[in-house]
Amino acid sequence: MKPANPSHRFLRGLLVALFWLGVWQASSMLVGKPVLFASPLDTLGSLLRMLPTAGFWQSVGGSLCRVALGFLLALILGLAIGILAFRFSVLRALLAPLLTLVKTVPVASFIILILVWFGASELTVIVSFLIVFPQIFFATVSGLSSADGELLEMARVLRVPGGRIAWRIYRPSMMPYLLGACTSGLGMSWKAGIAAEVIGTPLHSIGEQMYLAKVYLATPELFGWTLTVIVLSLLFEKAVLGILRRVGR
Amino acid sequence: MELPIRNLCHSFGDKVIFQDFNLTLQIGGLYGLTAPSGRGKTTLLRILMGLIPPDSGSIPTNVRYSAVFQTDRLLPGATPVTQLLFVRGGKADREAAREFLSALLPSDSLLQPIETLSGGMQRRVAIARALWAESDCILMDEPFTGLDADTLHQTAAFILAKRQGRTLLLSTHQKELLQAYPFQWLTL
Repeated sequence: MKPANPSHRFLRGLLVALFWLGVWQASSMLVGKPVLFASPLDTLGSLLRMLPTAGFWQSVGGSLCRVALGFLLALILGLAIGILAFRFSVLRALLAPLLTLVKTVPVASFIILILVWFGASELTVIVSFLIVFPQIFFATVSGLSSADGELLEMARVLRVPGGRIAWRIYRPSMMPYLLGACTSGLGMSWKAGIAAEVIGTPLHSIGEQMYLAKVYLATPELFGWTLTVIVLSLLFEKAVLGILRRVGR
Repeated sequence: MELPIRNLCHSFGDKVIFQDFNLTLQIGGLYGLTAPSGRGKTTLLRILMGLIPPDSGSIPTNVRYSAVFQTDRLLPGATPVTQLLFVRGGKADREAAREFLSALLPSDSLLQPIETLSGGMQRRVAIARALWAESDCILMDEPFTGLDADTLHQTAAFILAKRQGRTLLLSTHQKELLQAYPFQWLTL
C-alpha cells in the first residue's frame, strides 16, 4: 500500500466513517422501529435533547469522577506497590496469587459483593480500581524486571547514585509496559464501571440513566448514552496517556 | 603504592582460568593486557570490578573503578553528553562534558540521541564516559574494537591525556598498533 499523506488519510477516515454511518442508518430503516434500533439521526436527536439539561451533566460528572478516581487510585497504588514488590520479592510472591485471583474473578461477582458490603455510591470507584490495579501492578513489576542487566551492571561498577539509576534505566524500561497497561485499563475501567452502575444504579450516574432508558424502552437515549461513554472514555484515555507520555520522556 | 592480586584461582566448571595467579599493578601505571582469546582477559577485568567473585585469592579492595565493557552499555535514547553526566556531575557540568567529548567526536553529534551515531562513535562515547567518571583505576575491555586505524590513534591519545595519572589497564588484541604508546605489556 502506498503511504498516504495526512490529508488523504483524513479524507479516507471520513469516508469510512460515513460508510458505516450509512450502514447504521440503512439497518435502522430496515428494522423500522426506533424502540428496537435507533438510527444515527434518532441518537443525535436524543443527545441534543439531553445535552442542555443539568441531569445529563450531573450523570456525566458523577460517572467521570468515580471512574477517574478509581483509575487514579489504582495507578498510584499499583505503581507504588509494584515498585515495592519488585524490590522485595517476598511481597511479590505474596501478592501475585491474590492479584491473579482478582484478575480472573468475574466482574459481576465483584459488583454484587461490593453492593452488599458497601452500597451503590462507592461501587464505580471500587470496580474501576479493582479492574485497573492488577494490570498496573503486574506491568510495573514486569517493566522494572525488564531493565537491561548490562546497563545496571555498568551503573553499579561506576557507582551511579540510585536515584539516577531509577530515572535513567528503570523508568524508561517500565514506561512501555505502564502505557500498555493504562491503555487497556482505561477502556476496561469505563466498561466495567458503567456495567456496575447499570446493576447498582447509584444516583447521578450514566449507568443509572441507561437503566432508566431500558425501563422506559427509550432506545435512542440508550444509544445517546453509549455514544457519550465512548467519547468520555476516548477523551479520558487521551488525557491520561498524554500526561504519562510527558512524564515518560 | 601497589594494587596486588594474590593467589587468584578461578574456574568455570571444569575449565580452570586462573591457578594461583599473581600480578601487582603500580598505582598510576599504564598497562596493556594481551592474551589469546579465552584465556581470561575479560574474566580478570570482571573479577577486579567485583562482578565475579573469585573462587579464592585476594584482589585490591577500596579501589574506585571505572570501566569500558566489552559492549558499549550506553543509555538508549540519551545524548553523548547525558551519557557522561549519568556517571558524574549534574546540569552545571553540561558544558564541561561537551568540551570533554569534543576532543573525540564531531561537535554536531554531541546532542544527538546515541542511536544516530555510528558504532565507532558509540564506542568512543563509552571510552570517554569511563575517563570522565570519578575513579582511581580505569579498566578497559578491548576498547579499540570497531575503530579504524586513524580513530584508534586519536582515541589512544585521548585516553593517555585524560587518564590524568590514574592507573589504567586495558586489554587488546591489537598490541602491534599500540607500540608507539608507553604501555607496560602483560600477558596471561
